[in-house]
Amino acid sequence: MEDMIQVDRAMRTQQDTKISAKGVQVYYGDNHAIKDVNVEIDDKTVTAFIGPSGCGKSTFLRCLNRMNDTIDVARVMGDILIDGEDIYDPKVDPVQLRAKVGMVFQKPNPFPKSIYDNVAYGPKIHGLARNKAELDEIVEKSLRKAALWNEAKDRLDAPGTGLSGGQQQRLCIARAIATAPEVLLMDEPCSALDPIATAQVEELIDELRQSFSVVIVTHSMQQAARVSQKTAFFHLGNLVEYDDTDKIFTNPQDSRTESYISGRIG
Amino acid sequence: MTDASAPSTPVAAPKAKSLLTQDDRTKRRNAAEKRFRAYGIAAITVGLLFLVSLLWAIVQNGTPAFTQTFVTLDIALLEEKLDKNGNRNIEDIKKVSTFGYSPLINDALIAATADIETEVEDGDLKKILSASAAAIVRDYVIENPDQIGETVEFRLLTSSRVDGYLKGRVTRADLARDKNLDAAHLDLIDAMVAAGAVEKVFNWDFILGADASESRPEQAGIGVSMLGSFFMMLVVLFLALPIGVAASIYLEEFAPQNKFTDLIEVNISNLAAVPSIVFGILGLAVFIQFAHLPQSAPLVGGLTLTLMTLPTIVISTRAALKAVPPSIRDAALGVGASKMQSVFHHVLPLAMPGILTGTIIGLAQALGETAPLLLIGMVGYIASNYPDGIASGFLDPNSAMPAQIYEWAKRADPAYYERAWGGIIVLLGFLLTMNIIAIILRRRFERRW
Repeated sequence: MEDMIQVDRAMRTQQDTKISAKGVQVYYGDNHAIKDVNVEIDDKTVTAFIGPSGCGKSTFLRCLNRMNDTIDVARVMGDILIDGEDIYDPKVDPVQLRAKVGMVFQKPNPFPKSIYDNVAYGPKIHGLARNKAELDEIVEKSLRKAALWNEAKDRLDAPGTGLSGGQQQRLCIARAIATAPEVLLMDEPCSALDPIATAQVEELIDELRQSFSVVIVTHSMQQAARVSQKTAFFHLGNLVEYDDTDKIFTNPQDSRTESYISGRIG
Repeated sequence: MTDASAPSTPVAAPKAKSLLTQDDRTKRRNAAEKRFRAYGIAAITVGLLFLVSLLWAIVQNGTPAFTQTFVTLDIALLEEKLDKNGNRNIEDIKKVSTFGYSPLINDALIAATADIETEVEDGDLKKILSASAAAIVRDYVIENPDQIGETVEFRLLTSSRVDGYLKGRVTRADLARDKNLDAAHLDLIDAMVAAGAVEKVFNWDFILGADASESRPEQAGIGVSMLGSFFMMLVVLFLALPIGVAASIYLEEFAPQNKFTDLIEVNISNLAAVPSIVFGILGLAVFIQFAHLPQSAPLVGGLTLTLMTLPTIVISTRAALKAVPPSIRDAALGVGASKMQSVFHHVLPLAMPGILTGTIIGLAQALGETAPLLLIGMVGYIASNYPDGIASGFLDPNSAMPAQIYEWAKRADPAYYERAWGGIIVLLGFLLTMNIIAIILRRRFERRW
């Protein structure tokens, strides 16, 4: 098992850059939330953002699919390229971007509709299925990938809000991957879940790495260590350190990182 | 912190307090809570007392309007009076006015009371009948000319005094000041009731009928003004709901936050508190004097009430939209829905119960509104019933239920007073129905939440 992870990590180094951020600054009104962040996020990799509360890791994550656009006072500067294309280019429609960059939120937020409709909603609005059979297939595939199919297949018509917290979060993951994104952003996806549900979601994240580039924000350093191949440490709006996960946790270069992972700040 | 917990004058070590006795502080706290509960119960009791006495008064005064006294008479439709030529020519028959029918009715009354000892003179007998009696017989004859020459049984309205006597509204003592009836008439009525010729029955004409002149309150009904209210509510519903909901969605979900939208927001809140008569005079100036729409028309009434209802609908819709958790919007935007898709697919369905409740409450408010209607002349006196006159609806003069009630309350005859209360029962029935619909809709939509 250990060996396989080593092999995985070795392979990762040959992979391409999926997202590349250069000189990103974010202001909330007068508040300078993100200060000159440069980062290259690899494809088919789990990248964890860690850091104390208010350090800007969620803000930066929300820049990657332009969810910050919905906040009136937020201003984003610098370049964020996905596959070499600037996502803040005026020609980019955030709707198309978000189909390509899916997102899972901190609190499970299924639509108050049936499980089926929750998953089918994205494919429907993006026209990914030509008919009901194709849609059914997408729903099944997404639910299977999200490890929810066995629990949900007999009650696809039941409301998504009736599931348990962990199931709801997996439903949200299924909903996000149903639009066939290339990047999956997860904003503290396990913070509202119990340890068992957390373990299931983490296992899921590891599997999702086969198909997507996953970026996960987490408060739990153990989680970052468990699921990610690369880790970025944010502090007070700065990207302090970004490197291979085992390097960050065993041999951090920056004293702030060391303080944080050893529990002295944060 | 440390200073406070270490007092400079050390007190004798406090005895360990028993949990079984309450200290003064706890007693005071409990007493305050008990007092507050008592205030609450007293307030609710007073409120309930007022409500019960109000309902009691309404039911007590209003229910008599739902019954009406009729007299059954066999009237001989004499050919020599009604159709002198004997050729049943409808034009000739129409030439005979209601005055021509009076002798026939009088004869029928004399015949009907022949067995009863009465001091009422033959010529005064017809005072027990409504002034509408001759018109009813005439309408029947014009419709059925072949019945001329026969004797036909009619059920005719009694006069409002006779009706009032049987309902206990008119007493013998009252008649001293009344030139319409005297005690002999009442004896006669008692005898006719005993004989079964006079009876009180449920008054469908009150619910379905048209207004009547001041001299025949027994004929007046609220039906036509009910239609007027109905047409107005249609106008309000089809204008206020889409405009109000569209405006709220735009303001709540799309509009940028700036001074201008702040100003609009303040204005909407203030408009909701503007007295309704102000909307009435606005409607008069804009719709009638400027746009030259007809007076007394349900269309104008509906437009005016729309203005009045819009702020209510906008405020409740915005509150309903605000109550939808932002996580739903995030979820929709996160899977790549556009702003509009997220609003129409997810936010709006969730806000629907609130929107519908607000709309129905706004409609109910508009249904009961009187003041603006007085200013735009929605107090038409409409004595003709469906289908004559009011069928085309939106542009024909009409009245509305609250305006009709107001009109009746203004009239002198106590029989109209009774009808005003009866009208209030009908109006309250509609309001109750609307509120129940609002509750049912809310329940139904909330299940999905």
